[in-house]
Order: sequence, then structure tokens, then C-alpha cells
Amino acid sequence: MNKLKPIWRALLLLLMGGFVGYALGVGLDALIGGTVDFVAPISGVFSLLGSATAFFFGLIGYRGITKGLVYQIIGTFVGAGFVTAIRAFMGLETFGSFFFTEPAWVFGGLVGTLSFLSGVGAFADWYKWAKGESTPEHHQDPEGFIKYFGVSLDHKIIGIQYTVTSLFLMGVGGTFAMIFRTELAASRLQFLTTTFKAFDQNGLQFYNTLMSLHGMVMIAGILLGVAGMINYLAPMLIGAKDMAFPRLNAFSFWIAVPGALLLLSALFLGGFDTGWTGYPPLSTRSPLGIQMFFLGVYMVGWSSILGGLNLIATVVRLRAKGMTPFRLPIFVWAAIATSIISLTATQLIGLSFQLVMFQRLFDMGFFDGTRGGNPVLYQHLFWFYSHPAVYVFVLPGLGIISELLPVFVRKPLYGYRWVAMSSLGIALIGFLVWAHHMFASGLNEYLRVPFMYSTLLVSIPTGVKFFSWVATLWKGKISTPTPMLFVLGGIIVFLIGGLTGPPSATVSTDLHLHDTYFIVGHFHGTIFGGYVFPFFAAIYFWFPKATGRRMSEKLGKLHFWIMTPSFLVMTFAMMRVGLLGMRRRIADYDAMLGFDLTHLITTIAGYLIFISVAIFLYNLFHSMNHGEKAEGNLWNSRSPEWLVPSPMPVHNYDQAIEVVGEPYDYGLAGSKYVDFTNNK
Amino acid sequence: MEHTDKKTAFNQGLIIFIFLAVLTALEFFIAIVMDAVVLLIFIALIKAGLVIYYYMHINRLNREDDGPEESYSFKTNTNRLGMWLFLLSDSFIFGGLMVARINLLGLTRPHLDQSLGLVVTAVLLISSFFMNRAETAMEHGDRKGFLVGTSLTLILGIVFLLGVVGIEWPQAIHEGITASSGAAGAIFFMMTGMHAFHVLTGVIFLVIILRNGARGLYNEEKHWAVEAATIYWHFIDVVWIFFYPALYLIGELL
Repeated sequence: MNKLKPIWRALLLLLMGGFVGYALGVGLDALIGGTVDFVAPISGVFSLLGSATAFFFGLIGYRGITKGLVYQIIGTFVGAGFVTAIRAFMGLETFGSFFFTEPAWVFGGLVGTLSFLSGVGAFADWYKWAKGESTPEHHQDPEGFIKYFGVSLDHKIIGIQYTVTSLFLMGVGGTFAMIFRTELAASRLQFLTTTFKAFDQNGLQFYNTLMSLHGMVMIAGILLGVAGMINYLAPMLIGAKDMAFPRLNAFSFWIAVPGALLLLSALFLGGFDTGWTGYPPLSTRSPLGIQMFFLGVYMVGWSSILGGLNLIATVVRLRAKGMTPFRLPIFVWAAIATSIISLTATQLIGLSFQLVMFQRLFDMGFFDGTRGGNPVLYQHLFWFYSHPAVYVFVLPGLGIISELLPVFVRKPLYGYRWVAMSSLGIALIGFLVWAHHMFASGLNEYLRVPFMYSTLLVSIPTGVKFFSWVATLWKGKISTPTPMLFVLGGIIVFLIGGLTGPPSATVSTDLHLHDTYFIVGHFHGTIFGGYVFPFFAAIYFWFPKATGRRMSEKLGKLHFWIMTPSFLVMTFAMMRVGLLGMRRRIADYDAMLGFDLTHLITTIAGYLIFISVAIFLYNLFHSMNHGEKAEGNLWNSRSPEWLVPSPMPVHNYDQAIEVVGEPYDYGLAGSKYVDFTNNK
Repeated sequence: MEHTDKKTAFNQGLIIFIFLAVLTALEFFIAIVMDAVVLLIFIALIKAGLVIYYYMHINRLNREDDGPEESYSFKTNTNRLGMWLFLLSDSFIFGGLMVARINLLGLTRPHLDQSLGLVVTAVLLISSFFMNRAETAMEHGDRKGFLVGTSLTLILGIVFLLGVVGIEWPQAIHEGITASSGAAGAIFFMMTGMHAFHVLTGVIFLVIILRNGARGLYNEEKHWAVEAATIYWHFIDVVWIFFYPALYLIGELL
């Protein structure tokens, strides 16, 4: 009962905060409009902020994230007010339909983010360093669940913070998908015919906003989930005490929080209708929401860049003794490959978004053909990141598959060096393929074929991975607890996603498939197989390490057996309608095309996936306190983190680790991977 | 730590500066007398290589660890790797801007004040020279030399900022090159603006190390902050080594 208390208080405050925010929004709107409008567009964004702040206040009081949110609200007002004052002074328009004008909202969003970071305390140590004071290497984290809601320098806490935020964002993104999938279940418009005045969007605009936000919120969620896995696992797997730069690590996580809020606020500030790609010239004419989308992605991008930097430095500098490059766990190799992409290429999506943002704010003509600009330039800059980005999503997941497979097959991983190199190979080839997204964009003819071949080249290192997995499974002593089920499911689903890649990369077929639902089916296949399934596998596998309890096997298996068939049905149905001519990103289709039934099946399958994830979330939160105790080496793994007690001690390993053998030599008599040395 | 003689190190910095100055002048004259883009790119690469090797000391990344994980020198080696990774990441922004400039303007350039461009370039180059002197002084425990060098760098940095944002921008606007006038104006303000933003952060960094240096917080063994500020400042110079010809020297006038 005592444990339930803060959560109920928090939920009660959430309602009250939402109401106060709503009243504030309506009041502000009345202030400039002159009349009281009970569905004023800005009431939504204020009730979102108010309820989030009040929720965390109820949960943990005025500290950590609550303080950050309060600072963010104040910072947004100060920043927006500053610009508004300047505009008033210059005789420009001072208020818009969302109370502040667009430049004021953008500057307010920026100041709000920085305020959040200083409020939450992510700058505190750096500020002291600038003043010439030194700070202790590690802060003492508070006891209990409160430590997850404030700045902590412990990579395990940050990893869990990332993972939970990721699950939250993916839940939100999934809910968006459910809403617009419902509309797509049958031809004709069903419920998107009304105008959603509170969002200042009509039904079709609202569809576009939900569809676009589904894409980007999921991507943000995946990036945070990837960072969560890497943060939690990489230092443990290489025998380090922590990441190389713990403060930077905390900063990377906390900048994603206001970033995610900005991204979600796009829904309330007029939305945007460009899809997640934000192509100009459409994005230069979208409503205000697109600016919040740009800003939000910019912040999440910084999180990804700095996380990648940290991981590379950690692996290069802090490996245990004896851990030579070819004794690194495969997951760490995959994390390095991922980090190389996120460290470098992410800057270019930031730049492309920034250029559109500036084109809107200062009327600069980067992508305006009438003034010598070039819209295709945007697509080059954008895809230079956004294609490799999908490898950021899937490489860690594929690493997880290679990492877990030998544990449940009790056999060495087949072709270790090839698998290690294949991750790097995919990452590096990934830099050379971006223009295959632009075959239909009016790209120079002579560029198409080289980009087609470079794209097809990706299938070689990916094939190496598949070959290794199949060969590892061959004649193994396979056992199938929940994590292994998800690993096997991931392999199958990723195979489907992978095999539909070459037709999408080949110019002749792509010109037909471009912008159809086939691409949507292909993309979901790769991301579910390469990220979602392995992510669940990793959570089921390492949950006991984080909590000392294990998740329910029964619910886990239920989750798997609902999700996998539903997903396969969904992705095949998407591909089918795509081949029959269904365009992506549209709210309606002609009944005469004859795929109403397939769409209905897709929607039902989508709902089943949603239900299975709800089962997973219940399992996750229930097992934290009520799961079966699991303190020892539950899976009989060779990896060092399972040789110490669960939950993991604060500084990971009391004794230094020395690597004395190969990591995946399961089932070989007398082989040894790590030794604990007693010298400290 | 390599123990080079202080005087040798100062002389090396001076010789590299002279090389850079001569190459910059050469660049300027080549641009006047002929249309040789490849040659200008080649010279810019040489200049960048000189700065990266002799001023930013990229080879220090290879330094062996001479202490346990908790020691200052071990952490400095880790920090140095982190700093270089950050610069690698940052260079992708500037690379992207360069791609945008090539894509939109090709072999043309906006009409800018040539003498002002040369002056600000020289100012930034001289500031790099003093930055190198300041760091070398700190490495040999010469706090006064460090303070003088850093102060001069700081002043020259501010002069550069004033030159670009305070003089060049209004002049360009006066000439009709505004943010909204077309792709050339947009690219010009974006490239110089992004660079100026980095100079501004570098200036703030310099103020911090100047203040902490004056309070005696650094010594010849422990001065990572000074080294980081130095690397960052030279990085800003490297970016300008490419931006200067891209904006002022290459191609025909629009």
C-alpha cells in the first residue's frame, strides 16, 4: 500500500496539472483573442506540460525531472517573451494563432531545452569546472526509485532511464499508429471528417500529423532504446566501471527528454503534414508544428551523437585486461559500428533540418528554386544520415541476436571474426547508399546505377550474419525460453525485411515500388526484426541482471506468440496492398482497388501487436516487485556480468577482470573466458 | 610527455606560422591571377595539415598511458580522444555546409570585400599562432607567457568576430547580399554564421581558461583544459582555412 501511494498522488496531480494548464491556455488565448474559446489551440500544449510536471511532482516532489520541467516551462516563456518583445519593438506582428509567433516559439523551445538541462542539473558539474572547482568522480545516488528521476552518473541507471523513456515513446508512437490504422481499416473517411479544433487541424491534417509523428516518435524511441541497451550493457560486457565520460552520458540522456517533449508538442501546435522526412518545399509551408518537430529531432540527435562519442571512447580506452579487439563481445562490435554512424552522420540531418528552419525564420532561399535554391539538396543531406540511421537502429539488435544465440544453443558462435567485421562493413557501406531513396526524385541519371549497386552490396555483410546464425543453430542443443524465442523471431522477421530490400533498391523495380505500402511493409519488417524483437529479447534476458527478479515466462511466451504471427500477417498485408498500388502516407483509398479486406486484416494485426506489447508492459512492471527471484547465473552465460550478483553492484566489478579466452566457446571442454584477479 | 626545449617549441610554432602566412598570401595571389580551383584546394589541404599536425598535435592521440586508470594522464588521454571524436563529428556540419555551397553556387561566388576577407583570415591565423605560444608556454610551466598568449588570442578572436559579424555582414547587406536575396546570400550568412558561432564558443572557452589560469589552477603537468581550448581554437582556424577560399577566392563573381 505504501508503494502505491506516490503513484496515485501523481496521477491525481496529473489530472489537476492538466486542468490548470488547460485553463492557462484558454486564458492566454482569451487575452489576445478577446473572446473565451474553450477549445483554444494552445490549451493542449499547456495541459500537456502542466500534467507532466504535476505528475512528476506527485511522484518525486520538487527535484530532478520535476525541477527540469518547471525550468523548461519558465525558460520557454522567457525565450518566447524575449523574441516577442523584440518583435513588438521592431513593429512586427507580436502574437499569432498559437499565442506566440513562430520565431518566438522556436527561440522559446531552444531556451526551454537549455533551462530544462540546467534545472535538472545536467550542467552542474561542468559549471563548477568552468569556475575552477573540482567535483567528485561519482555522486551518491539516492535510495529507491527516486534515483531514476534525477541526474545520475551511473551507466546502469542511465541505461534504465533510456530504456523506460524509449518504451514510453514507442507506446505513444504506437498509439498514434493505432488511431490512423483504424481510419485505414476501410475505404472512405470514417472519423477524420470532423475538424479537430483543439489541435487547429482538420481531419486530414490530423491524419498527416499522426502519421508523421508516428514515424519520428518511433525513431526517437528507437534511438533512445539503442542508447539504453548500449549504455546498460557495453561497460559491463567489456569489464569497465562506467562509461568514459559519465557526465556527458547523463547529459546525452537528459537532452533527449525536452527533445521528446518538443517533438510531441508538434501535435498541439498545428501539426505538420510532411511525413517524417520533412521534405521542402512542403515543409517550408507546413504549420508551426514542423518547427517543434525540427527542434525536437535536433535535441534527440545530439543525444545520439554524444552517446556515440562516449561509447567509442569507452571501448577504446576502458576495456578489461586481455580483451583484445577479437575478443570483444559481438554486441560491442555492433555498438561501435552504430556509434561511428551516429557520431558523424547525425550532424547532417541536424543541418538539413536547421536549413529548413532558417528558411522559414529568416526567409533564406536554400531550397527555393525561384531564388537559386535546390530542394534536392535537402534530400541528399537528409538521407546521408537517414539511411545509415536504419543501421543505427538494427545493428545493435543484430548484435544482440549474435550475443544471445550461442547461450541458448550451447555452441560457439560460428565465424566470430566475420560477424564482428560484418557490423563494421554494414556501417561503412551504409555511408555510400543514401541516394537509393531518391531514384524517383529527378536525380541525375548516371547516379542511379552506382547507388543501386552500392545498396545491393549491403546484402553481403548482412548475409554473413544470417549464415553465422544458421550455422550456429545447426546441431545445437537448442532451448527456447522467452529471450531465445524473440531471438529466433527476430531472425525470421529480419529475413523477410531483408529479402524485400533488393527489389526496393533496384532501380527498375523501385520506380514501381517507390512511395507504396510495399516500402512500409519492408521497413517495418527490417525494424521489427532488427530492433524490436532483439530489444525485447534483451529486456527479457537482462531484466534479472537489473532487478534481481525475472519476468514471467508464461506472459513472455504469450507476448511472443501473439506478436509474431500478427506481425507477419501485418507486414505481408502491407506489402500486398503496396504491390496492388496502395500509396503510403494517404488517409484514404478507392474501394474499387479491392483491398479493403487486406487493410482490415492489417489493422486487426496492428491491434493484436498493441495488445501483446501491453501484456509485455504489464509483465515488466509487475515483475519488478513480484517476479520470481533470480540472483545467480540464470541463463548459464559465460559473460562476466552473470558471474557477479544481481542486481549489479554500483561499480560493476569489485575485482578487476582479465579476459583469458574466447567469448563464445560454449560447450568446449576446459575453455575459459574471464578470470577475476584479486589484486585490488 | 615529450620534453622538447621551450625555445625549440616556440621556434617551431613560428616557422609553421610563417609557412601558413606565405601559403595564405600565395592563395590570395593565385586567386587574383588565375582560375585554379584545384591548386587552391591543394594549398588549403596543406595549410590544414600543418595546423592539424603541428598546432593541434594530432599525434598525441598515440601517446602511451603512463599511469593507472584513475591517474590524470590516463584521463587526459581519454579526454583527448573524446575531443577529437567531437571535432570529427563537428566537421560533418561544416562538411555539409560546404556540400551545400558547392551544390548551390558551383563555381561562382558572391561579391564580397576582398581586403576585409584577407584581413580577418590573417587575424584568425595570427590568433592561432598566439594560441600555440600560450599552450607551449603552459607546457613548460611559464604561466606569464600563457596568460599573455591567451589574452592576445582572445582579443584577436573578438576582432575576427567583429570583422565578420560587425563589418562584413552589414557591408554584404549594403551590397544587396541579404539572407533572403537568394541562395548565395543564404549560404554566405549560414557558413559565416555557423563559423562565427563556433568562434564565439571558443572565445568563451578562452575566457574560462584565462580566468582559471590567472588563478593558478593549471601547471605544466595538469592543464587538460588549456590543451582542449587550444585544439578547439585551432579547429576553428582549420574550418576557416577551407571556408575562406570557398567564399572569397573560388569561382567567378555572381
